[in-house]
Amino acid sequence: MTPMIDVVFQMIIFFVVTIEMEQRLINENIRLAMSPDGPAIEKKDPRTVVVEVDADGRITIARARISAQMFTKIMRKAVSENGQNTPVLIRGDARTRHSDIRRVVDACTQAGLWKVSFAATKEKARKGT
Amino acid sequence: MARARMRRGAAAEEPEISMTPMIDVVFQLLIFFLVTIKPIDIMAHLDVFRPTLDDQKKEEEPPPRMVKIVVYRDMYTLGLTGTTADDKVISVANLEKKLAFLAGLSKSQTISISCAGDSPHGRLIRVLNLCAKMGLTNLSVTSLR
Repeated sequence: MTPMIDVVFQMIIFFVVTIEMEQRLINENIRLAMSPDGPAIEKKDPRTVVVEVDADGRITIARARISAQMFTKIMRKAVSENGQNTPVLIRGDARTRHSDIRRVVDACTQAGLWKVSFAATKEKARKGT
Repeated sequence: MARARMRRGAAAEEPEISMTPMIDVVFQLLIFFLVTIKPIDIMAHLDVFRPTLDDQKKEEEPPPRMVKIVVYRDMYTLGLTGTTADDKVISVANLEKKLAFLAGLSKSQTISISCAGDSPHGRLIRVLNLCAKMGLTNLSVTSLR
């Protein structure tokens, strides 16, 4: 019984730590627009590049702020490594001007990426659960 | 008599696992998770098509007519690509009705969505959400020059 309990605890700790790490890569100040009818994410492609654009138009990847030129370079590298069908997920704040989103989308187009999608909130987390 | 004593001895040698510490730890963990857990919003991915550089080279041939939605800062317009005369200002409720009608005709048709530079991103998401609601998945998002 004891080894099984050990393994179960190890797994619990592993999942808790990895989930926390994924959460830390997301900018919590970005308020996504609501899309209650949008398709829910079931399986995320591990190659997906998640780029965030905040309300002031600042571009960040994994909480690191980058310029549009740097973003284009990163996308070109992503294309050379993973191909043109690398998915790009844009987490744009609902208040962000489209011209700021366009900079990111144009950079993807320049790099040859076509699989672009926008993140939105399908369902708000229930408070107090 | 001797046999009974042997049986009692064998029973005494069997190791017993005390469950109490394990239950203590499990309860501690349970309380820890209940206190620290943060509910996460359920996300949606709204896929769009972007013209690739190769497509831009092929633009010499006239593109087929398609329904065009233009997202402005404070309004939406509906029309057909290739013309500007037919663009009409439309409310969200009417846009939903029009998209439902179009989806009834064909769900595989391409809807062109153009955005003005100063329009908030949330307004584009609203249109994408309406298209997703009606099952229209071929969406081409471009920017107004």
